[in-house]
Amino acid sequence: MAAPVPPGAPRPGANARQQSPHPNFNPNFQTNPNSLADNMQNMNLNRPHSMPNSGPRPSPFGQPPPFPQSSVTAGFPVASPPMSRPGPPPGMVGRPAVIPAGPLQSTLPANVPPGRPVGLPVSHPLPFGSRPPPASLSSSTGGAVLPSSAFPSSGVSSASAAPPPPGTRPSSFVSSSPLTGGPAGPMSSARAGPSSNGPPAVGAGALPGAPQFPPPAIVSQPPVGPPPSMMSARAPAQAPTMRSVLGSSAVSSPQTPPLPSASSPFPAMTQARPPPPGSPYGPQTWSMQPQQGTQPPHIPGSTHAQPPRMFGMPQQALPNQAMTNIPPALGQPGAPMSGSSKIDPNQIPRPIPNATPIVYETRHGNSANPPPPATSDYIVRDTGNCSPRYMRCTINQIPCTGDLLTTSAMQLALLVQPMALPHPSEDPIQVVDFGESGPVRCSRCKGYINPFMKFIDQGRKFICNLCGFTDDTPRDYHCNLGPDGRRRDADERPELCRGTVEFVASKEYMVRDPMPAVYFFLIDVSMNAVQTGATAAACSAINQVISDLPEGTRTQVGIATFDSTIHFYNLKRALQQPLMLIVPDIQDVYTPLETDVIVQLSECRQHLELLLENIPTMFQTSTTAESCFGAAIKAAFLAMKSIGGKLLVFQSVLPSVGIGALSSREAEGRTNISASEKEAHKLLQPADKILKTMAIEFAEYQVCVDVFVTTQTYVDIASISVIPRTTGGQVYYYYPFSAVSDPAKLYNDLRWNITRPQGFEAVMRVRCSQGIQVQDYSGNFCKRIPTDVDLAGIDCDKCILVTLKHDDKLQDGSECGFQCALLYTTVYGQRRIRVTNLSLPCTNMLSNLFRSADLDTQFTCFLKQAAIEIPTCPLLQVRDHVTNLCINILLSYRKFCATVSSTGQLILPEALKLLPLYTLALIKSRGLRNDGRIDDRSFWFNYVSSLSTPLAIPLVYPRMFAIHNVDTKVIKFLVGLWSKVF
Amino acid sequence: MSEMANTDPEGIDAVRMTWNVWPRTKVEASKCVIPLAATIAPIRPHPDIPTLPYAPLRCRTCSAALNAFARVDLVAKIWICPFCYQRNHFPPHYAMISETNLPCELYPQYTTVQYTLQPDPNNPSSAPQLPPVFVFVLDTCMIEEELEFVKSAMKQAIGLLPENALVGFVSFGTQAHVHELGFSDMSKVYVFRGNKEITKEQVLEQLGLGAAGRRPTAGYPKGLQNGFTNTGVNRFLLPASDCEFTLNSLLDELQTDQWPVQAGHRASRCTGVALSVAAGLLGACLPGTGARIVALVGGPCTEGPGTIVSKDLSEPVRSHKDLDKDAAPYFKKAVKFYDSLAKQLVSQGHVLDLFASALDQVGVAEMKVAVERTGGLVVLAESFGHSVFKDSFKRVFKDGEQTLGLCFNGTLEINCSKDIKIQGVIGPCTSLEKKGPNVADTVIGEGNTTAWKMCGLDKSTCFTVLFDVSSSDKSNAPGVANPQLYLQFLTSYQDPEGKTMLRVTTVTRQWVDSAVSSEELIQGFDQETAAVVMARITSLKMEMEEGFDATRWLDRNLIRLCSKFGNYRKDDPSSFTLNPCFSLFPQFMFNLRRSQFVQVFNNSPDETAYFRMLLNRENITNAAVMIQPSLISYSFNSLPQPALLDVASISADRILLLDSYFSIVIFHGMTIAQWRNMGYQNQPEHQAFAQLLQAPQDDAQMIIRERFPVPRLVVCDQHGSQARFLLAKLNPSATYNNANEMAAGSDVIFTDDVSLQVFFEHLQRLAVQS
Repeated sequence: MAAPVPPGAPRPGANARQQSPHPNFNPNFQTNPNSLADNMQNMNLNRPHSMPNSGPRPSPFGQPPPFPQSSVTAGFPVASPPMSRPGPPPGMVGRPAVIPAGPLQSTLPANVPPGRPVGLPVSHPLPFGSRPPPASLSSSTGGAVLPSSAFPSSGVSSASAAPPPPGTRPSSFVSSSPLTGGPAGPMSSARAGPSSNGPPAVGAGALPGAPQFPPPAIVSQPPVGPPPSMMSARAPAQAPTMRSVLGSSAVSSPQTPPLPSASSPFPAMTQARPPPPGSPYGPQTWSMQPQQGTQPPHIPGSTHAQPPRMFGMPQQALPNQAMTNIPPALGQPGAPMSGSSKIDPNQIPRPIPNATPIVYETRHGNSANPPPPATSDYIVRDTGNCSPRYMRCTINQIPCTGDLLTTSAMQLALLVQPMALPHPSEDPIQVVDFGESGPVRCSRCKGYINPFMKFIDQGRKFICNLCGFTDDTPRDYHCNLGPDGRRRDADERPELCRGTVEFVASKEYMVRDPMPAVYFFLIDVSMNAVQTGATAAACSAINQVISDLPEGTRTQVGIATFDSTIHFYNLKRALQQPLMLIVPDIQDVYTPLETDVIVQLSECRQHLELLLENIPTMFQTSTTAESCFGAAIKAAFLAMKSIGGKLLVFQSVLPSVGIGALSSREAEGRTNISASEKEAHKLLQPADKILKTMAIEFAEYQVCVDVFVTTQTYVDIASISVIPRTTGGQVYYYYPFSAVSDPAKLYNDLRWNITRPQGFEAVMRVRCSQGIQVQDYSGNFCKRIPTDVDLAGIDCDKCILVTLKHDDKLQDGSECGFQCALLYTTVYGQRRIRVTNLSLPCTNMLSNLFRSADLDTQFTCFLKQAAIEIPTCPLLQVRDHVTNLCINILLSYRKFCATVSSTGQLILPEALKLLPLYTLALIKSRGLRNDGRIDDRSFWFNYVSSLSTPLAIPLVYPRMFAIHNVDTKVIKFLVGLWSKVF
Repeated sequence: MSEMANTDPEGIDAVRMTWNVWPRTKVEASKCVIPLAATIAPIRPHPDIPTLPYAPLRCRTCSAALNAFARVDLVAKIWICPFCYQRNHFPPHYAMISETNLPCELYPQYTTVQYTLQPDPNNPSSAPQLPPVFVFVLDTCMIEEELEFVKSAMKQAIGLLPENALVGFVSFGTQAHVHELGFSDMSKVYVFRGNKEITKEQVLEQLGLGAAGRRPTAGYPKGLQNGFTNTGVNRFLLPASDCEFTLNSLLDELQTDQWPVQAGHRASRCTGVALSVAAGLLGACLPGTGARIVALVGGPCTEGPGTIVSKDLSEPVRSHKDLDKDAAPYFKKAVKFYDSLAKQLVSQGHVLDLFASALDQVGVAEMKVAVERTGGLVVLAESFGHSVFKDSFKRVFKDGEQTLGLCFNGTLEINCSKDIKIQGVIGPCTSLEKKGPNVADTVIGEGNTTAWKMCGLDKSTCFTVLFDVSSSDKSNAPGVANPQLYLQFLTSYQDPEGKTMLRVTTVTRQWVDSAVSSEELIQGFDQETAAVVMARITSLKMEMEEGFDATRWLDRNLIRLCSKFGNYRKDDPSSFTLNPCFSLFPQFMFNLRRSQFVQVFNNSPDETAYFRMLLNRENITNAAVMIQPSLISYSFNSLPQPALLDVASISADRILLLDSYFSIVIFHGMTIAQWRNMGYQNQPEHQAFAQLLQAPQDDAQMIIRERFPVPRLVVCDQHGSQARFLLAKLNPSATYNNANEMAAGSDVIFTDDVSLQVFFEHLQRLAVQS
């Protein structure tokens, strides 16, 4: 809460630049004709929340004022007029303020780059400190286990966040690390709450944050706890929920521990502040101001306390209700915040940021523990619910009725990332083997046995938590119940005490023997590809990556090249040299060999290496400009059809011939302006259905396609991407491809693609307790029947959005269960069912919903829905829609949970106080702007479709790093990072 | 037998006719029963044929070449064409012509002369000496062992090719692979799917020969090392000397088709696509020049165009019975496909040679049309390891004495006297549809033309030309009727060295008014030729006419013939006698009725097609042996001597040598076999026995050496299982019905077939019926 705010502030600045958001925001603001300044103040106030109340405030305020002004002025200038309004919104202010401030203040300028920095500066210091977290990176790396080499790139990309391609992997790599890194970065720079998650990692920051807010309400209980322990950092987020949920007492003692861990968000906050002082750059004031300014808007209300916190525009307002009431109410969330507000930030003890992640228990007592922010660094202890990495819900309490949900205007959805990378310190998922009979399942809904199934009748029966049916316990699975009503063996059986387990699939889960790991490489060797070095880069990347392929006889590889024809290679050992087999019919393709096109890696390694070395020179003199991408993947598919596997395509030019040939629509669109304006989004749709039809067929035969686009021209990603999207793959985009700088990244991306945890021939289904049902899935997969999702390939980076709807009323006080079952084949050929369970409390209270809203997940949900709309709706409409989503939530909150507020106040639910900021950022992101290249936009929304929650915010709200005084290791990292930021 | 008497019945002209005097009218001709026909081996070498280094003079109107039968006015320097009576002036360079200085073609003994056509001086590049081109099309759907055989045969063949011969290579199984021999980085193969018909244009485009490949079609290629500007030539067709190594290593690595074959199924084999791809490749690279597609096929086509049977092994390959009952679902479609392939090849001037080796059928019956129309060679064997294939294949590429003299791009034109109409040609050629006044209304074989294309021909290739006499001539006849008729055969072709040759054969025969005297007619009958022509016509009719009853047709014709030319008293069979000129004919017919050409049910359609193709292209002597095998007996008591083709010729102490053209059987009598088994031949005192054993072997080898395809040699003993090869050909004068009458050591044939004697009895009875 509080913590987030600060971060937010910076962002606001960033966001501020763009105007669009304003309107939306305005509503609140509008009421007050007051200028930005007011807003600013409000903002300040908000942060201040704590501030105002406490003595500390004054000082901040005092400072702030200048800020606002400066910021305002500066900000305005900076921000275009439109900005003014929106700008006002925190975001806007933030930056402007910052910038100006920077200069004004003093040294900051130096830091200036941080611009937002303003906030940054302060935070920066912290960040750095936190960065050290960068250390986190290192740690993450370590943790990631991934090859260090991989890291850099990945890290880079992740850092860049925006750069999808790289980013993706990186993230994956670092999953943990990215987060940490991210957080740190964001936090510091922006202080953005978003990043804040990261901050948690920072840890140190957490404390500070805590102090700020905590003081007020929290102080009494948690505050103390948290502060002392650096841990608290995350606490904020959780804390709020916890408290709200649990209530005071329980919370206090038990929670305290959790809080610390959870407190991360706060930490960030704290850090931010601390840094200011400490940080050479920003005078505290600066930092403070920015923070404040920013925070206010976001923070508006600390949701936790039911009484919404109003971020009254006018300070007064706040003081009255929000402030006063809030503090207590806020207690939890705000607790730190408010506390902080009363405390002179300078006085707050600041733990040195440390990279120690928070330990998060998924359930505490007998109830769900709200998860830490997705971008923070945390270690999960699975105590019944799954790790939030695998599945998290937009709201951590489930509304009992659909009406309640509608009233809240929030989305109810799950973000499922079933193979997400765990933190290295987390316990591995336990594998349970039920032998021939397979896992115990509910006989009605087929739900898998899980910790929430209730055993009754001395253990002879169990009640399914999903459908409510009472099943007989299989005889050999019977166990008596203990006095607590649990099975006596519950703690020994992972499936009865862990949120996530993997069952060994029995024969009935196999329609055939589990497939081997098959990797088929398809390389564009048309004239352009060869001449730009893309072919050489691809070959070299593949050559380097061969050694990373899974060992063993089950690993098979194949390779083909294509220009206007398709060239396969027979790598069979018996041959003295590879045999090139050309498939010249690109209208009606076929595979040239049944068996020897795909060969066991162990049998063909030498041939393959030789071949990869030769390919670039072999086609050196090629004058074939055409490229038959569609035909080539079809042919490769036919070669793989009998087994399935991964198809990795390196494409460099617009597919111009053969099946699925594409035209240069973009250019045509440009020449025909009138049409292009009206139907600009048509260019973001696939040109025709041919590739889609192919893709569905691929998916059916378990072929997963990844496309590496190394190009310097338009390649119609909108059309091409259909293939990877449908088959569970992804698009990597290197534009404009540079033979100098991109090969390393290409290699790194490829390597991560191949080495990351992944599965083949997967089917996924999410089951929910009665009353809730799955409405839709979205992500990179193929859906043939409504209930299941077919994934030819699934890996740790892929995330699926599962929207939910009510079909009945839920019981208040009961729990609603969600179970995601993923049946897949490992790279080593084992058939497994990964079952991920989440059980959340149901509530009838609207305020509970707001309090337990999960910012990251909500926003990711926004993001993905916007991405879905981009190709089908005019851009304006998409933007409006996104804006409205945000407004509606805030409006609902204001209407139903903040009745006392005056009209001049912007009131934000504590948990979602950063939502406006992110929404603004989203509206300004590449995919939602019409000034970008069509391919860039296509790539953007395709990238988003499988994007995981931890990466979603960094994508739209990039992390920022100061690089002036970091150690060389970090510099290296950052240089790599930025080299590819786009 | 007759061949023994007359070693060279064809003479310098290599022409034989069923009737050497011709009845004047259509009615008379039809009464002759045996059609008017001439057989000609157009490029059969003969030591007396002069080769002239200039172009022949052609008649202005009918374009017949100047020949020994032209009336020449040496003073006026005019010659009169014997065909159209057009008066032609000699051109200036014949100014020196005189009684004592006649050009070769006017010498009466040189009824056949050969001209070497010089390149057009105005366009030196128009007729360059082109290297021969060979595209090998190799089936890979066979067991390892067979593939090894065929690979080594190919390697040997490549070694035998002239250095400048261009070589291309296509292998096929489930798919067709075109090997790009000119790609140095690695083995490179263009893969064509086997189950999709592919047009020539698609082949070109997909091989990347689209635009560039077409250019040379406009004119002859010029320049460059190979004489080809075409890049396709350098990619896919390389001089043997350049690509021998590549090809050999490629063959070393070549594996059997890797596509899995389901249990209970045939391998998937796309012979049709492979051949069209090869044809397309040649069409793109070298249209109009002599090129052969050498197809080595090891099984039936089961995939794509040209499929002859489904992959399911429970469905047998079509039999004659299926064909008769129209129960061969793939047959017509496949024939249609090969027919179109034949058209394409003919238009390109390229040859399809078929070397089929399999225990089951491979679809020769369907491919026959493409092979025959292009004048290709065909060899059918049981295995690529069998000498029938190995030695025949080697023979194709070998030079020297036994060379086949493979020539390309032949054209046969026939000029004939006014009253004569050409019905068509039976043999390995294609009608060029060149209409003229000499074209008959009824068509037999390749007709409707006076010119034929022979994409491939060799020195033994023989054609049967069927003539009719125009009935409209009656008006002319009374007047200045020329007592002589003339036929002129002009054959131009590209010889193995790439030179363009033109051979002109002019023959004359006498008209006779058979209504007045049949004696002359009888004297002019060539019964051996007649038998062969009847066999060819019968085969053709069996293929073309549905429900054709060959035996009845032959019988009826024989009876008519005997009725017309026999001497007898009506209704008195015992009075029946035949002129010696006809005496052998009934026996030929008897054997023809029993032969594989008429009794097809003992053979597969593939074998029948194979036999018929050879029947149609072999010379009269060889064709007669196919109909009526020759039998020679070897014994201690006498020199080798012809024996009656009768079961009675079998004796325990004899060795018999049967030559039925397709197989040669050495048959040891029981006693001989016992002696041999006891090893007497190895004992010095029984050298005579060793010689006796050796003699038929030597004779058999001599026959084998002369023959293409190499016949199958069967060495067997009396009562052995292989003895059936002999017994099947013998006249069943002794069967189980009259076995008790037989002398010891002789043999019986278990058959209900009528014997020659019974046949004759019936013939006599029917011939004399009024």
